[in-house]
Amino acid sequence: MSSATTARSTEVTVQLRVNERTYPVRLDSTTTLLDALRDQLHLAGTKKGCDQGACGACTVLRDGKRIVSCLTLAAQCDGSEITTIEGLADDPVQEAFVRHDALQCGYCTAGQVMSAVALLREGRAGSDDEIREFMSGNLCRCAAYPNIVAAIREVAGGS
Amino acid sequence: MTATLTDRLLGRPLDRVDARRKVAGAAPYPSDFDLPGQVHAALVSSTVAAGRITRIDRSAAEGAPGVLAVLTHENAPPLAPPPPNDLGSTTRWTLQDDRIFHYGQHIGIVVAGTRAQAQEAARLVEVEYAAEDPVLDIGDPRAVVEANPYGLETGRGDVEIGLAAADATLDATYSIAAETNSPMGLFTTVADWQGGRLVVHDTTQYPTMVRASLAAMFEVPERDVRVLIPFLGGGFGAGLRLWSHTVLTTLAARVLDRPVKLVLTRPQMFSSTGHRATNRQRIRLGATGDGRLLAIDHDCLAANGVEDRLSSYIVASTPVQYACDNVATHDRIAHLNIPYTGFMRAPGGAELNFALESALDELADQIGVDPVELRLRNYAEVNPASGKPWSSKALRECLMVGADRFGWAGRDPAPGSMRDGDWLVGYGMAGVTFDFYADPCEVRLTVDRGGNATLRAAATDIGTGTYTIAAQLTAELLGLELDQVRVEIGDTDLPPAPQSGGSGLAGALGAAVKDAAGQLTERLARLDGGPGETFGAMLDRLGLDELSATGHSDLAGAAGSSELAVAGPFAARFAEVGVDEELGLVRLRRLVSVIDGGRLYNEKLARSQVIGGTVMGLGMALLEETVVDPNTGRVANGTFGDYLVPVNADVPDLDVVFVGGPDAFTPTGTKGLGEVGIVGVAAAIANAVHHATGRRIRDLPITLDTML
Repeated sequence: MSSATTARSTEVTVQLRVNERTYPVRLDSTTTLLDALRDQLHLAGTKKGCDQGACGACTVLRDGKRIVSCLTLAAQCDGSEITTIEGLADDPVQEAFVRHDALQCGYCTAGQVMSAVALLREGRAGSDDEIREFMSGNLCRCAAYPNIVAAIREVAGGS
Repeated sequence: MTATLTDRLLGRPLDRVDARRKVAGAAPYPSDFDLPGQVHAALVSSTVAAGRITRIDRSAAEGAPGVLAVLTHENAPPLAPPPPNDLGSTTRWTLQDDRIFHYGQHIGIVVAGTRAQAQEAARLVEVEYAAEDPVLDIGDPRAVVEANPYGLETGRGDVEIGLAAADATLDATYSIAAETNSPMGLFTTVADWQGGRLVVHDTTQYPTMVRASLAAMFEVPERDVRVLIPFLGGGFGAGLRLWSHTVLTTLAARVLDRPVKLVLTRPQMFSSTGHRATNRQRIRLGATGDGRLLAIDHDCLAANGVEDRLSSYIVASTPVQYACDNVATHDRIAHLNIPYTGFMRAPGGAELNFALESALDELADQIGVDPVELRLRNYAEVNPASGKPWSSKALRECLMVGADRFGWAGRDPAPGSMRDGDWLVGYGMAGVTFDFYADPCEVRLTVDRGGNATLRAAATDIGTGTYTIAAQLTAELLGLELDQVRVEIGDTDLPPAPQSGGSGLAGALGAAVKDAAGQLTERLARLDGGPGETFGAMLDRLGLDELSATGHSDLAGAAGSSELAVAGPFAARFAEVGVDEELGLVRLRRLVSVIDGGRLYNEKLARSQVIGGTVMGLGMALLEETVVDPNTGRVANGTFGDYLVPVNADVPDLDVVFVGGPDAFTPTGTKGLGEVGIVGVAAAIANAVHHATGRRIRDLPITLDTML
């Protein structure tokens, strides 16, 4: 029987700073940032696609860098600045995604957009091949990939 | 004002109307819904593939923190059987006995205050089994094999006579690995019995089927069940059946009389929401020396779950592919202890195309006729099964335009003759004759005094663009602008619409919209508004708030009595691959798709559909294989780390061109485009691999280890 060991849990209080707002949250220390965002902060724009860091649907920015929030513990984000899709305001990437039809079902789109925003800041949009390579952590089963590349290329070229 | 189709809006590459919500993360998917008082469920799954449960102990789970209920076959209330359904019915009702049919079968559901508590407690349910040796391979002699229940033993002419008369013959067997749809959205059910009325947020492409099934199983009238699905998170066919998790969540909500939410895990998606069945296809061809087909014999064996009534139908459209007097089809189903199969993009058609178009490539190579020319020599000018003229067919144009755009003339036919540095280069092509299926559809169209229109139907938008094309068509027909039309779908309280499946919804919905718009404009004409009067002005003048019409369509019914052979889309696919001989790498370098999709609703969204299908075809050709462990029956690679789907870097330039004109059968002139994009890709790639290397790979996927 493993119930004695597995039922153990530790509650912690964390100051989560998300989209320039501070949220004091009390949560189990094993809670992922993704679950905290969705379940406790009710920021449902960030999606769960695999919960194993393999699909990129949960991509958010932590201190400006893209991370998969399903493999990040919320408790480790105390003091970090988190940006989710809800924190973007008419970013040129969002506009370009609309124009180029860089989405279909839309489930991976928040992750794609956050990843694209960070990729542009990283200076990794120098060529189509570079965009493809550095966007390959974000799966899109509808496979809007060529349109995603076109959208990012356009924003990169215009900036 | 008349309800006519022009190119004012129809066909134009307008932006997707729901795109802004999607890029803002503001489109609600089932997993985003949280209801007041909601509790969370987790599933208990079988860890054997065959046998019976001999003991199942709920006590530890029931005593775990936060647990509200643990349901197994020992304490679950009985359910009525689900109704029969042409494509969507549940596999078998669940938690009703102790039998195990496959590894990962749901054998219990645990409900607790939080998701973590439910998942933790689900692990505490103790199960003992009388396990049996599972039957897992379609070649296993123990497998129960039966004739395909759809009756696919067909024939015209005499294949043996055709083969005997042939100058050239081919006898080859092809196989395709099981593949899993793997939409990004995790399938979710949020069930809430609001007094006597059941409201369910459920990931489904077929909400009216879910409503009918749940109503029957829980023995309540259909009007007391409401299924909501505004946004889906993809489906690719996985959402066309009623799955066990939906029933169990609804059951738990009824037992507890409070809302229950269940989100499948990614590994559970691989064993709980269907897949494309693995299959073996033997093709025998006979032809004259110059490549005229004298015989096509297509024999298929495909896998299915134990006691599953739904089957694949791979050989169903073999008889209409090419002009050939002697054609026979045979189709058998092997019942295995594998997770239930289902529908995956172009089910049947994609598999058939790989085998037949590979076989034609082999024949072309054998007799020294160009592969494009071979397709043209056997071109079916009329439907070869019925003899009726096609409602539209621009396949010849697809082949010619494709060959030209691709530069097919520059192909040296000798295998292994083309190189680019270390890479062997190959060109391959495939022709595509596809079909669609459209169930009856009803819509309610309302114009109001503000001059706006609202379209309502219980249809879904799975990412294909239903919201957009319905708005575009409605605006076109009523003379409105796009932003004057509101589209309400994804709710079974709205008029019944068919599934997003079989490439049929766009046609069915469009025909019903055209009917409704025709009624409205006719009434407007009768009310004598004079030229130029708008709906808003007319309603104002008449003192009416709104005017509504109900539109209907039944394309499948109309097809039966049509003088025309109802055509689906046609296509030609031309692929260039590179093969690294030393490393065994196969890379798609470019692919040209020429599609006859009839009249397009929206060129931009149509292109997106074809690109999406093409990339899934790339996965089918080179990456995707759901591996069932041969000892336990467990899906061994049920994660996105192990089941490989194409990523951005796998996808080269994809050229998509549309040819052809409006179809003569559908009232809108359109043809379904949701599936055709995948069809022909695998054959074109496999044929290109043969051209590059001289090696004929008849088994998908073509992986690195195959090439070494």
